[in-house]
Amino acid sequence: MQPTSSMNEEFLKKWQMGLQIVRPSIDNTSVSERKKAIKLSADIAMASLRKGTTCWSRALIQKTATEDNFLVRQMLSGIKEEALINKRLPKKVVCHRKIVRRSKKILRRKTKSACEEAAAKAKKLVKRRTQGLRNVVPGGDLMSNDVLLLQETLDYIMSLQTQVNVMRSIVDAAEAGTEQ
Amino acid sequence: MDLSVLDRLKWLQQQQLVSPEFLQIISSDGREELNRVESYLGNNNDELQSFRHFPEFGPDYDTIDGCISRTSSFRMEPVKNNGDNRAIALQNKRKPQGKTEKREKKKIKSEDETESSMKAKSHMSNTETSSEIQKPDYIHVRARRGEATDRHSLAERARREKISKKMKCLQDIVPGCNKVTGKAGMLDEIINYVQSLQQQVEFLSMKLSVVNPELECHIDELSAKQFQAYFTGLPEAVSKQSMMADFRSFPLHQQGSLDYSVINANQITSLSAKDQTSSSWEAHSQCLYNSFRTDSVSNLFSLK
Repeated sequence: MQPTSSMNEEFLKKWQMGLQIVRPSIDNTSVSERKKAIKLSADIAMASLRKGTTCWSRALIQKTATEDNFLVRQMLSGIKEEALINKRLPKKVVCHRKIVRRSKKILRRKTKSACEEAAAKAKKLVKRRTQGLRNVVPGGDLMSNDVLLLQETLDYIMSLQTQVNVMRSIVDAAEAGTEQ
Repeated sequence: MDLSVLDRLKWLQQQQLVSPEFLQIISSDGREELNRVESYLGNNNDELQSFRHFPEFGPDYDTIDGCISRTSSFRMEPVKNNGDNRAIALQNKRKPQGKTEKREKKKIKSEDETESSMKAKSHMSNTETSSEIQKPDYIHVRARRGEATDRHSLAERARREKISKKMKCLQDIVPGCNKVTGKAGMLDEIINYVQSLQQQVEFLSMKLSVVNPELECHIDELSAKQFQAYFTGLPEAVSKQSMMADFRSFPLHQQGSLDYSVINANQITSLSAKDQTSSSWEAHSQCLYNSFRTDSVSNLFSLK
């Protein structure tokens, strides 16, 4: 499944807009600054494609807003930027420490067979991986639900693929152009 | 057993909706029959008598619960002809429970074991009629036990089905994921893929920032239509191939600085240390570059 061309175009349009906003400020700065600006604008363009319907895009917008508030506001001016930036993400689920401890105690009390132990081990592995995925996907630690996390990951991967596709084609074209 | 979980849930709900009516209709007859049965048991078998007064079974007949109707409705059927009807009814009853209660079974294994051992004893000692009477009791208990956790386990099952569906979708999207078995391995693969994509974005933005600054002006000046033509003109196979190859052969740990001096002489100092690429990547970009040269680039850079 490859990202559709309509997504590519839309992303490109958004990104162009972002670059236009960014350009005057980064014309004569260092490479790292320029890189940061380009990446930021690309990220915002990617996140704004979803118009705040997904969790990851909201988290990404919030994250970028802390870095460059002005740019985010400018780029999202079409779609109620205030609502998006300040949109509340789902609350982090915090379990009381005592409860956790008690449940662990209860778990320990049970005697386990070899089969159950293996299952528990596998479960632990999966849990760790899921935690890893949470760290990778923006806003992942706010998704308490496994199903939601996977869904968001799907969407995020699709968007990332679009982003990479567009950027790569532009880079390639640019390289080709400079060498010509 | 082809029913999906949701269907079964619906079915269960329907059954529970129906059950009170049954209860009203049947209650009087069922009570009488119960009395008859009890008397029958009383003069027939001592062991069963003690079983009857087992604290878990006795008083529950008075409580209003879905399971009463189930047991009583059972009792109505076998009266006519024993073997077949009972078998069918049992099949119907056990269908939704058998599958969903697999896990539940484990939990209440100990109780079940005692129960089943008692039941086995009665089977051995008694005639067919008594075993027929025994069966509703057995189901009654199971239904009561299952009642509390049934929906939970059903919900759990639905959740797991959803997750596996999502995982399948992810398998389609993430290349190389279909070779891996197991959830942990797949999650690993997904994490790697997402990270590689993020790194690619970093790298590409870095590259873009280094490439001729004038390029950005050109990008800005280009209208969307031109880009559309540009994207459609891009050969699908090449872009796909480069995608597939790059995310794998993108070892950022491998040292080897890109030669940016051609592109921008004054900005190279800070870059050569940071940027890394592999030879295979260059080969692919070369191949892409060749394909670009033919048509699309020429109209892209005609603005220059």
